[in-house]
Amino acid sequence: MAESRAQGRMAGTHGTLILGAAVMVIPFAWQLLTSLKTLTNATRVPPTIAPDWRWSNYAQVFELLPFGDQFLNTAVVAAARTAGQLLFCSMAAYAFARLRFPGRGLLFGLFLSVLMVPPALFVIPQYEIMADLGWLNSLGAIIAPGLFSAFGVFLLRQFFLGLPRELDEAARLDGAGPLRIYWSVMLPLAKPGLLALGILVVLASWNDLFWPLIVNTDPEQMTLSAGLASLQGQFQTDYPVLMAGSLLASLPVIVVFTVLQRHFIQGIAFSGNKS
Amino acid sequence: MWKAVRTGAAVMAAAVLAVTVAGCGADEPTAGADEKATLSYAVWDKNQVPVMEELAAAFTEDHPNITVEVQLTPWADYWTKLRAAVTGGAAPDVFWMNGPNVQLYADNGVIMPLADKVAEAKLDLGVYPKALVDLYTFEGKIYGLPKDFDTVGVWFNKELFDAAGVKHPAAGWTWDDFKAAAAKLSNPAKGQYAVGANIAGQEYFYNTIYQAGGNVISADGKKSGYDDPATIEGLRFWTDLIKNKQSPDLKTMTDTHPIQLFESGKLAMYWGGSWNVTEFGNNEYTKTRVDAAPLPTGVKQATIIHGLANVVSAKTKYPAQAWEFVKFLGSKPAAEILGKKGPIPAYTGTQDAWLAANAKFNGKVFLDAVSYAVPYPVSRNTAAWNDEEFKQLTKAYTGEVPVEQAAKELATQMNALLAKE
Amino acid sequence: MVMTEEGIAAGRAAVPAPAPGGRARRPRRWTAEAGWAYLLIAPTGLGLAVFYLWPVLQTGYFSFTEWGPFGGHEWVGLDNYRALAADAEVRQALVNTLLFALLGLLGIPLAIVFAALLNRPKLRGVSVYRALFFIPVVTMPVAVAMVWRWLYNGDFGLVNQLLSVFGVEGPHWIADPATALYALVAVCIWAGLGYNIVVFLAGLQAIPREFYEAAEIDGAGPVAQFRRVTLPLLSPSIFFVSVLSVIGSLQLFDLVYVMAGSGQAARSNPAMPRIQTVVGLFYDKAFYTNDRGYAAAIVMALLVLIVVFTAIQFRLQKRWVHYG
Repeated sequence: MAESRAQGRMAGTHGTLILGAAVMVIPFAWQLLTSLKTLTNATRVPPTIAPDWRWSNYAQVFELLPFGDQFLNTAVVAAARTAGQLLFCSMAAYAFARLRFPGRGLLFGLFLSVLMVPPALFVIPQYEIMADLGWLNSLGAIIAPGLFSAFGVFLLRQFFLGLPRELDEAARLDGAGPLRIYWSVMLPLAKPGLLALGILVVLASWNDLFWPLIVNTDPEQMTLSAGLASLQGQFQTDYPVLMAGSLLASLPVIVVFTVLQRHFIQGIAFSGNKS
Repeated sequence: MWKAVRTGAAVMAAAVLAVTVAGCGADEPTAGADEKATLSYAVWDKNQVPVMEELAAAFTEDHPNITVEVQLTPWADYWTKLRAAVTGGAAPDVFWMNGPNVQLYADNGVIMPLADKVAEAKLDLGVYPKALVDLYTFEGKIYGLPKDFDTVGVWFNKELFDAAGVKHPAAGWTWDDFKAAAAKLSNPAKGQYAVGANIAGQEYFYNTIYQAGGNVISADGKKSGYDDPATIEGLRFWTDLIKNKQSPDLKTMTDTHPIQLFESGKLAMYWGGSWNVTEFGNNEYTKTRVDAAPLPTGVKQATIIHGLANVVSAKTKYPAQAWEFVKFLGSKPAAEILGKKGPIPAYTGTQDAWLAANAKFNGKVFLDAVSYAVPYPVSRNTAAWNDEEFKQLTKAYTGEVPVEQAAKELATQMNALLAKE
Repeated sequence: MVMTEEGIAAGRAAVPAPAPGGRARRPRRWTAEAGWAYLLIAPTGLGLAVFYLWPVLQTGYFSFTEWGPFGGHEWVGLDNYRALAADAEVRQALVNTLLFALLGLLGIPLAIVFAALLNRPKLRGVSVYRALFFIPVVTMPVAVAMVWRWLYNGDFGLVNQLLSVFGVEGPHWIADPATALYALVAVCIWAGLGYNIVVFLAGLQAIPREFYEAAEIDGAGPVAQFRRVTLPLLSPSIFFVSVLSVIGSLQLFDLVYVMAGSGQAARSNPAMPRIQTVVGLFYDKAFYTNDRGYAAAIVMALLVLIVVFTAIQFRLQKRWVHYG
C-alpha cells in the first residue's frame, strides 16, 4: 500500500518534470523545424510539422552575414575576457583575502560599488574612451572593459577566504613571498573557483549584446549576438531564415555545455551559493 | 557591505581623479588621388551588395592603388550606427545618403560639400533628374552625387487577383477602383487581405496624402501639412482599410511584416518601390506570381520620388581618393553597371539596362511615374518629426484615437519641432 | 553547507576578514606585504577606475548637459531632470521596468518546486532533467528572443496553434498592449528557470537529512517539513536569487530589443509603450536620437531605483533570511 503510494508519487514527480522539460525543449525543436521550412509552409494554419529540408535558409544566413568572421570574433572576445579576468581578478582577490594593507576595506568597498551600478551608466563614457583611442569597430573595444570585473574579484575572494589559513602560513615559514604563495599555493587550489568564474565569463561574453551593439558597426567586427540582431533588421520577419541564424549562433555554447555539463552545473551552483 | 560601499563611494572621486585617458591625435595625411588607400563604403541594402562590390572592383581596376571595402549595415540600424560612428570619429569614407538625412549631415559639417570639386572636374549635373539634385543641394551647395532613383507602385499577386475574378490593375485606375478591388480580395476569416496598411511614409501614406491633394510639409519646409483636411483624407485611406478588415491590423503586421505576408500569398497587393524588383525577382514565391502597376489616382495622380546619393565624409583620411570614387559612381559607365543589377540609375539615358534586366516585371511603370512624381518631403531635422509621425499615427491606425485628432496632434508637434530647426 | 559557512557574502563580505593574529598586528606603516597587495590589485583597480568608476561620475555629469546631433555638449543645469519629471514615456518605462522586476520574482517559487522535485531521494535521471532545464540558460538571449517572437506570433505561432486545439483563440502576444508585458515576463522566467533550479538544488542538497527525520519524529507532514525545514534553510539562496533576479530585470534590454521588432517594426508596434524598459529607452535616446544628456539623466533615475530596491531587499532580508 505505502509502497504503491510512493511509486505513484514518483510517477507524479516524473510527470511534472517531463512536462517542465518539454516546455524547455519544444521551443528549440520548433526552431529547428521552422529553420528547414519555406516561408509559405512555416505560415500555414493549421501548421505542418514536417520540414521541407530547405537548407537554403542556412545558406542565406551565410551569404548575407560574415558568419564565420563573427563566430571567430566571438570566440576571441570570450577567450580574451576570460583569460584577463581569471588572471587579474585572482590577483586582486588573493590580495583582498590574504594580505594586509592600509585601505583594504575601503578599496574593496569601492570595487563592490561597481556591482550595483547598471551597465547603462558606463556605456556613454566607455564609448567616448574607445572613440578617443580610435578603437571603434575593433575587437579591442569589445574586449577592453570586459578584462576587469568587480564580480570576479568578489567571487574569487570568497573562494580564497574558504581555503585553510595554515597553507599560506606554512609557505610563509618556508620563506615564500606573497607572489610565490599566490602563484604556486593559492592558484592551484583555486581551480574550482577559477572554473566557475571562467564559465560565467564565457557565457556572459558569448551572449552579450548591449556593448557590442554599441561599439561595433562593421559587420566583420561584430560578435554573433549583434550580428544576429542585425539579421532581423534585414529579414524583418522571414522566420525560417531567422530561426536558421539563431540556431547557428547559439549552437556552439549548447554543444560545449553538453560536453562539459558537470562543470557548468558545478560552476553555477558554486557561484550561486558562494556569493 | 553597505558601510564599505558608502565609504567607497565617498572617495571614489579622489581615487579616480588622477586617471585620464589620453586620446591619440589623429594624423592627417594629405594624400594625392592615386596614393595607396583603402576606402570604406557603407551601404544598407543587402540586395545591392554584389553590384556595389562589382562597382568597387571596376574602380580598383582603373585605380590600382585604391581598394574599396563595401560595408553592409541593415536599414534598421543604418542611421543609428552611422551617427554613432560619426560621433566617435569612425565614419566610413564614402556612404549612401538619403533625402531625410542630407540636410542634417550637411548642416553639421559631417559630409563634404562637393560643389568646388564638381566645378573643378567640369561635371554636368544636368544628367541627373532635377528633383534629386535639388534634394542634395543645401544652402546652394551640392553635397552628394545622385546614384539612383525610385518611385512607388502597386505590386500585385496575379494569382490572387485571378482567383477573386478581379481585373489586374492598370494605368488610369482610381481610388474607387482600388477600394472595389480591395473589398473583393479580402477574406479576413482565412487570413487573406487586399493590402497591408503599413505605417511607412514613402511607400504608403505620403503617396495618398499627395494624391488626396494634401501635403506633408510646406514648400519652404517650415510648416506641417498634417492639419490640412486633404492630408487627413490621405491618411483615412489607410485607416479605413484597416477598419474594413481589408488590411491586417498593426498587431498582425508587427508579428509578421507585410512583405512576408505578401511573399506567402496572404496579401494581394503590396505598395512598394522600384527597388523591390530584386527581392521579388529572387523570391521563389513572388518571381512568377507578381507584377507592378501604377498607384491609383485620387484627386490627383502622385507618387513619391526619392533617390540616394553617394557622399564623402568630411573627416575622411583620403579625401582625394574618396572623391575619385564618388565621381566614378556618378559616371555613365557606373550607371550602366548599376542598371543591370541594381536600382534605376539616376544618370539620364542609362535606364534601358535596368528595364532589360528586369524584363519579367512591368518596370516601365516606375519610369513613367517620374512625370507626375512628388519629391520626398524633408527638412533640416527630418528624423525628429518622422519619429512623431510614428507615435501619433500608431494611435490612429489602431483606432485608439480618430484619425483627425491624431493628425492635428501630429501637426502641432511637428510645427514645434520645425520651429526649433 | 557553503551557504552557512560564508553567509551571503552580499550581506557580510564587506566586514573585513580578521587579519591573522587579530587587530593588534594590523600594519601601521608601509610594509613589503602592502606593496605586493597594491601591485596585485593594480590591474583590476586601474581597469575598474578607467572603465567603470570614472564613467559613472562622467555619466552623472552628462546628465546635466545637452548634446549636439554629432557630439559636443553644453551645460544645461537641471533641464534634463525637469524634462524627465514631465515625460510620460519615461514614467511608463519606469512602471514597466518595475513590473518586470516584480513579476519576474514569480519564477522563484516555480524554480523551488522543480528543485524540490529533483531533490527527491532515489529519483532517477536527475542530471538529464537538470541539463534540459539548463539549455535556455546557455542559449544566447538574442536567439531566445527570436525563437519566442516566432512562437508568440499571433497568426502563425506555435502557442496560438496549440491553443486553437482547445478552441481558444490566442492574442497577438507581443503586439497587444494587454498581453505584451506578461508574455515577455514569461520568457524571462523561462530563460532563467534552469539557473535558479541549479542554485536551489545545490542549496537543498546541503540540508542534512537528519533535519527532516527530526521533523518527521515531531509529526510534521511533507508540507510542514517544507515550511519548517526547507524554506528557512533555503532562505539565503532565495535571497541571493531574488536580488539577482531584480537587478537583472531592472536592466532588461536584449529581450525587448529583439522581440518588439527591429527599427520601424518596433516603432509601429502598438504594444511598444507597454514594454519599453528604462534601459531600452536609454539606448534609444543615447544611440538612436543621440540625445545623450537626456539618456544619462534616464539612467541616473535607474540607478536610484536599483539602490532603493536593493536597500529594501537587504532591509527585509533580516526578517526572513536565516543564516545557519
